[in-house]
Amino acid sequence: MEEEVKGKGVSRRDFLKGLGGGAIGTAVISTGLLDPGKVEAYPTESIGTSRGKSAVNLKVNGKAYRLEVEHRETLAEALRDQLGFTGTKIGCDRGECGACTVVINGRNIYSCSQLAVWMQGKEILTIEGLARGEKLDPLQEAFIEGDGPQCGFCTSGQIMSGKALLMRNSNPTEAHVKKELSGNLCRCGNYNREVAAVLAAAAKGR
Amino acid sequence: MAQQQFSVVGKKTPRIDAYERVTGQAQYAGDYQLPNMLYARVLRSPYPHAKIVSIDASKAEKLPGVKAVIHHQNSQVPWASGGLTQKRMIFNNPVRYVGDAVAAVAATDRHIAEDALSLIEVKYEKLPHVLDANEALKPDAPKIYPKGNLSVGDGRVSAPITEQWGDLEKGFKEADKIFEDTYISKHVNNAQLERRASLAKWDGGKLTVWASTQGVSNTRTDIAKDLGLPLSKVRVICKYMGGGFGNKNQAQDYDLMTAVLARVTGQPVKLEFTREDDFIGMHGRWASEQRYKVGVKNDGTITAVDFYGVTNMGAYRKQTGDLGGCDFYQIPNFKKVVNPTHTNTVIGANYRAPSYPESVFGFASMLDQIAYELGVNPYDLFLRNRARLSKGKIPFTSNAQEECIIEGAKRIGWKEKWHKPGAAPGPKKHGIGMALGGYPFRLGLGAATIRVNPDGTAHVLVGVVDIGTGAKSTMAIVAAEALGIPLSQIQLTNGDTDVTPFSIGESGSRTTSFTAPAVIAAAEDVRKQIFSIAAPELKAKAEDLDLKDGIVFVKSDPAQKLPLNKALRRVESELIGRATTNPTWKGVDGKSFAAHFAEVEVDIFTGQVRITRYVAAHDSGTIINRLAAESQMKGGVVQGIGMALTEELLTDRPTAIPINPNYRDAKIPTHLEVPEVEVIFIEPYDPYGPFGGKSVGEPPITPAVATVANAIFNATGKRIKEIPITPDKILRAVQV
Repeated sequence: MEEEVKGKGVSRRDFLKGLGGGAIGTAVISTGLLDPGKVEAYPTESIGTSRGKSAVNLKVNGKAYRLEVEHRETLAEALRDQLGFTGTKIGCDRGECGACTVVINGRNIYSCSQLAVWMQGKEILTIEGLARGEKLDPLQEAFIEGDGPQCGFCTSGQIMSGKALLMRNSNPTEAHVKKELSGNLCRCGNYNREVAAVLAAAAKGR
Repeated sequence: MAQQQFSVVGKKTPRIDAYERVTGQAQYAGDYQLPNMLYARVLRSPYPHAKIVSIDASKAEKLPGVKAVIHHQNSQVPWASGGLTQKRMIFNNPVRYVGDAVAAVAATDRHIAEDALSLIEVKYEKLPHVLDANEALKPDAPKIYPKGNLSVGDGRVSAPITEQWGDLEKGFKEADKIFEDTYISKHVNNAQLERRASLAKWDGGKLTVWASTQGVSNTRTDIAKDLGLPLSKVRVICKYMGGGFGNKNQAQDYDLMTAVLARVTGQPVKLEFTREDDFIGMHGRWASEQRYKVGVKNDGTITAVDFYGVTNMGAYRKQTGDLGGCDFYQIPNFKKVVNPTHTNTVIGANYRAPSYPESVFGFASMLDQIAYELGVNPYDLFLRNRARLSKGKIPFTSNAQEECIIEGAKRIGWKEKWHKPGAAPGPKKHGIGMALGGYPFRLGLGAATIRVNPDGTAHVLVGVVDIGTGAKSTMAIVAAEALGIPLSQIQLTNGDTDVTPFSIGESGSRTTSFTAPAVIAAAEDVRKQIFSIAAPELKAKAEDLDLKDGIVFVKSDPAQKLPLNKALRRVESELIGRATTNPTWKGVDGKSFAAHFAEVEVDIFTGQVRITRYVAAHDSGTIINRLAAESQMKGGVVQGIGMALTEELLTDRPTAIPINPNYRDAKIPTHLEVPEVEVIFIEPYDPYGPFGGKSVGEPPITPAVATVANAIFNATGKRIKEIPITPDKILRAVQV
């Protein structure tokens, strides 16, 4: 799963020189000029930043990966962009909404607020890792039966926080659930449903 | 058809796409990745009003990885739906608010695109600005547009917005008492969890956009118009959508920017908003000031209402700016004047039930106060003034508002729990409040195609996007009911303009009432085909056949029957039912109604409000899917609670910079603030609605703000006339 090495090939500067310089700055892009024949397509190239990259070894949903990550790349970005686990959503990218919640070593964590490079040796569970083959996790079943998702964008995070709670406490009270999920915002306002689903899953698991 | 005769409609049905939503498989616009895809970011104005003297993007363009920088000098693309009274471009000069888009960058990686923004050198010449709508209407205010700041356009965006009936003077003469007061609401953001994202790709001359939108059809129309492309050359896809609540209607500037960037780079481009972009770069609910003059009899009967409102639309007019809080009462003599006004602030436009919750807050607070002044129980005053006729004279298609009031009050125990305002013991004072709301129910253009396969399964194609309302499931349920085959046999494809038929757009609580009639008609169309094929098999006339639960049978002799797959065994391809419907009515008006009730506990030492109980009674006609509809009601209440107690986009006065464009500081409700919302459905069968259903999505937010505000009044005996009702306002009120 290693990313291609970036920073090679034609540089932006060389490319612009080749065009006579300032092509973008002077090109007039207006409605009338959107005719496909008239606009130069830029050649495909891959130019990355020269900023630091490191390799990390981590486990996601039970499988080991070695990733080449930029130092500023967050875990949420690495999961989504490099590994394709797009069930982990990014709602705010600043540690407020919880859409990116994953379970790391048994705790619910905002993956937007963890750098990927910190994940050396960590075990990460995402929404994609909950089902066992065709068999859904009781939390997922409860979210389906109890209409847990409305738009569904916060749902992965709500479920992962619920999962972290149930991994530690199989018999939580409503107050426990609300507290554990309090870092997971739901703008559809489906809080009643989400709490009820976690409680239903707990009851099922007993 | 009476309710008990339904086989699928009205049940608690889990969403047909719930599996995808709980397993992470649902793909939202931002989840798609294409080979060679670039990432884009937007640079925004730091000034509320300024002329751009120059833009130098050369340093940004030289940053390795940057592929294109577009701005007003090299990309003059109109954004028609972004400004309805003044021409708006995707990049404007002058810029008219802090957050107005100045440039966009496409780069090989989102961080490089972000880095590049800081390398774009823009020289601004600051212009005078105005933030307050009342100030903006004064003759000497800085002019945002040459003709002034009142946002005058045509039709639904005219100004001032006026409405009048009866005889105001006579109404006030008949009044025993006249009350006047002013209420204020602030700008709040829709704050949907999914940040805006748009992915554009050109294949030759054809543009495909994976959009996060509340309407693929109108997004396609807008993009085609703004970019000068034929409709056939634009494809818009939205399969899953992470919320919008009114701020993802139509095509938005970022869709257009993405298309332009993809065009000039020759690569697919994904533009992502940051959360801050989302708070300031699109729009929220318009702030308002509302002045009421209300004439009443001593028993609380309203005789006249004279209402003047000012709404702050920000720098561009995207929506009406109306205020509709008086719509839920019987007002014999009425006058309304609302001035939608431009200021140099973030745009005010659609957010769930635009024009309602803020003005229901104002008017229902006003009525609650009048009840207090007259010594009347608010329950009696609300019940007495309930709406019998629309606009004072037009009958409603159906109306169970009275039952909503009565049943909701019973459920919460109004009679036992109501006490004189401020009379409960402290310091944590109990309060109970109520308010009336609802939302228009309208009919209009819808389209659907249904393909029935020879094995008895069916494929429904509709253009609707499921923005979280459960619209996909609703359409599948309606199809199953109308076809007479089990829901499990229905497959549904939605939200793709190359594949699915037209949809009006999933806003205004109109998805069901516009598109479901087309689904029903398409089902009728294909049923006729089924019956003519099955008739010889069953030795009956086609018109004597019926289809239920996947069985074709003779109506007069149900023992004569065939499973659908047997009936169609000679069909090799498929049967296709199609319909475009545009039902109308005459001499009637449609509305869904709601009566909400809340109990609160107000700590008069800290100013904190805790909502301890909430009852939402709704008349939305027949409920198609009880499970999803109940979730909608709960969710609307939660958003209303946020508006009532905590949410406001704050602006730093000297710089005009929004200072809390993020979840934490904008204070949207969390799990901890939300009570169990008890939902009651009163279900009159509406003769015009599909299977008797009316509007669902928007009604629940409308009375919620006022309900909480009135409960706070009942607890404290102090009327707070500005939302959000934050602890500081409560403390100031109770300590006076």
